Amino acid sequence: MSEAARKIEEKQFVVFQLSKETYGVDISKVWEIIIVQPITQVPHTAEFIEGIINLRGRVIPVIDLRKRFNLHQDEYTRSTRIMVIEISGNTLGMIVDGVSEVLRISSDIVEPPPPAITNIDADYLQGVAKLEDRLVILLNLDKLLSKQEKLDLESTMLD
Amino acid sequence: MGLQFDASPEEIKLFLEEADEHLQLLEEDLVRLEKEDDTADLLQAIFRSAHTLKGSSATLGHQRMAQLTHAMENILDKLRKDQVTLTTGVMDVLFEALDLLRVLKEEIVTLEESDVDLTGMLEGLAAVANQEVVKPEVKVEKEEYKMELDSHEKQVLREAGEERNAFLINISLQENSEMLPVRALITMMTMRELGEIVKSQPSMEDIEREIVSTKMQVLLLTDKPVDFLNNSINDLPDIVEFHIDSYQGGESVPEEIEVQPSVLAQEAKIEEVKVQNGSNNKAAAKDIKINKQNRTVRVDVELLDNLMNLVGELVIDRTRLAQVLGTLEARYEDTDLTEDLNRTSIHIGRVTTQLQEEIMKARMLPVESLFNKFPRMMRDLSQKAGKEVDFQMEGQETELDRSIIEEIGDPLIHLLRNSVDHAIETPEERKAMGKNPVGMIKLGAHHEENHINIVVRDDGRGIDPEKIRASAVKKGLIAEDVAHRLGDQEAINLIFASGLSTASKVSDISGRGVGMDVVRTNLEKVNGAIEIHTEVGKGTEIKIKLPLTLAIIRALLVNLSQRVYAIPLTSVLETIRITNDQIKIINKREAIVVRGNVLPLLRLRELFNTPGVAEGENDKIFVVVVNMAGQQLGIVVDALVGEQEVVIKSLGKFIGDVQGIAGATILGDGSVALIIDVPSLMKKFTAMAS
Repeated sequence: MSEAARKIEEKQFVVFQLSKETYGVDISKVWEIIIVQPITQVPHTAEFIEGIINLRGRVIPVIDLRKRFNLHQDEYTRSTRIMVIEISGNTLGMIVDGVSEVLRISSDIVEPPPPAITNIDADYLQGVAKLEDRLVILLNLDKLLSKQEKLDLESTMLD
Repeated sequence: MGLQFDASPEEIKLFLEEADEHLQLLEEDLVRLEKEDDTADLLQAIFRSAHTLKGSSATLGHQRMAQLTHAMENILDKLRKDQVTLTTGVMDVLFEALDLLRVLKEEIVTLEESDVDLTGMLEGLAAVANQEVVKPEVKVEKEEYKMELDSHEKQVLREAGEERNAFLINISLQENSEMLPVRALITMMTMRELGEIVKSQPSMEDIEREIVSTKMQVLLLTDKPVDFLNNSINDLPDIVEFHIDSYQGGESVPEEIEVQPSVLAQEAKIEEVKVQNGSNNKAAAKDIKINKQNRTVRVDVELLDNLMNLVGELVIDRTRLAQVLGTLEARYEDTDLTEDLNRTSIHIGRVTTQLQEEIMKARMLPVESLFNKFPRMMRDLSQKAGKEVDFQMEGQETELDRSIIEEIGDPLIHLLRNSVDHAIETPEERKAMGKNPVGMIKLGAHHEENHINIVVRDDGRGIDPEKIRASAVKKGLIAEDVAHRLGDQEAINLIFASGLSTASKVSDISGRGVGMDVVRTNLEKVNGAIEIHTEVGKGTEIKIKLPLTLAIIRALLVNLSQRVYAIPLTSVLETIRITNDQIKIINKREAIVVRGNVLPLLRLRELFNTPGVAEGENDKIFVVVVNMAGQQLGIVVDALVGEQEVVIKSLGKFIGDVQGIAGATILGDGSVALIIDVPSLMKKFTAMAS
């Protein structure tokens, strides 16, 4: 395999909207996308944890990405969805404004995150894909929780 | 060092299963052997087990195991033929050999040779097997009871006078007694106190030079009555058997006192009655076990857990299906289609219920699997503590979820050890108090409504609330004035606080003050509750209440700020309805008086920060009274919804441990309800108070 071929690899990303920006996450991390359903709040948890839902008999936590990223809060709309993803072995739901498509993005159009384009901590960013008409912010889901938050969670694990 | 066996994995697995069964049988039978009088059948059974083990381990090529079982078999054979006397010493050797066998069996699992050295054990076993018969035949006894006297000794006897009688006393000492010369000496000293020793065999000089055997013979001149002698000798340690005969001239005439230490006799009698019932049941149970054995498969617990989860989902879907059907019927009225759906839905419902029950059953094990190891443990413990304990068990067939059985093992061991160590008095103390010198410890399990009770009861010294108060104050757990205001039951419940131990002596197993605290925490893990009833001088009863299964519990559903919460029914005492003006402020906190008792109130809404609903608070307030280890708390909720079986789901690692929440469950309409964690609420509440 030539060096050039190894460098340019194509990956599929699920693309969604949050506030006015477009984001993408690696499709292999996404289990499914479901419509918003009643969420049971759990007391004494972090603010961005919306609560828990019933996913076909499984209880999974749901986080609100806008709260997580300190973005402007809107009411849920008809296009609001819960993306069920896996972060470091945990299944959880992520509330997003809408899921639009699945895109093939080759690594040669992905650039390292420019510090000024967004108000998300750069840690979560895998890079920015420059498409013809728009930019897609690629998220690194494993880093969605800060190190400290992860530590907190691990120290209070249920089992 | 690696081990290799000339057998296929299947053969090894079979061998291990068989070995486990026989080892367990051996242990149970050996414990019984020590207690029972009629040992012929038992010995036969034990011999068979050892023989089978020998055969199969030899076939497998495990030489060391075969050697050990062979040596055991030798002793058992001689025991069977009355060529060796059964004493505690022999039992100890057999038990030790059994422990070694287990280690050797593990070698087959790990394929690693353990560093066990068999030589010592084999020699010990051989020594026991080759020893002289100590138990004398009746005929021999008569001859032995004679004693040759020289002229001087005869002279002493003749001059004894009217008020003094001559007795010939034969004593058998325990042969494993490490300090045989000392025991013999103590015996002689006691004799001296009782009267004049005319002659003894061995002589005093021999005993001082440590030339002793387990048999002793003393010709005693005394003014004490036979009963008095009897009691005095009975109190001596390590005596297996003794006879007191009145000595007239050269002949001894039996005084009709053929005495074994009275304690043993009593114990044996009790045992006999009990074991007879027990053994019948057991024999029946064993038959069933054998019949079923060929038709079972081993299943990984994880697989059962998964199945249970899947069934949980089905249960929820069943309820949803019924709801959807209702909607459809309302919209399209009765058509063939909805009728068809209705039938299918009902059938699915029935099958699901059955499936749920069957899988729950598959997870159940009789508590016997846990209880089995206790008789041996209790034997060792009571021997170590120098106490005599009659340990009885009942309800071994009661079934519990296997994960619960796994969790309650340690707490039970702890409670039983406590009973032997602290509750049961020494035989001397017990006699002084007029109690049976043999202490009773009873372990029972039985089904009650939708939970299982496990009860540990003893007739020991009980727990003194005064001691607990004093100890708690000394250790700074509570203030002195608070301690005095506590009721007796409340004081006793303090033993569940960490850092409290009333034992003045710390043994290597209990009395370090972590005990009951850990017991309670472990039990709470499986939604169990613990209660103590005790009476000073009479004994203690500890009752453990356990749910039938971990995955599904019965819960009281309550409403709070339009959300449903589930409170496990095991901790709910009652629900009451009060009005706002009944609430008093005591110590800056809300409380009500229920039947003369002060019940502190906890407003869940404040604790959970859920939006408040002002109305309803003024006129009618619902209070759920919960109870945890004797402590009570009133939880204020908006409304009661009902009682229901709920499937417990963890909140998952992501959310982690939330104080006051034990998990979540999915209700019939598909919504998620939080399950209240009563123990942690209680802890939080107590923390807020202090």
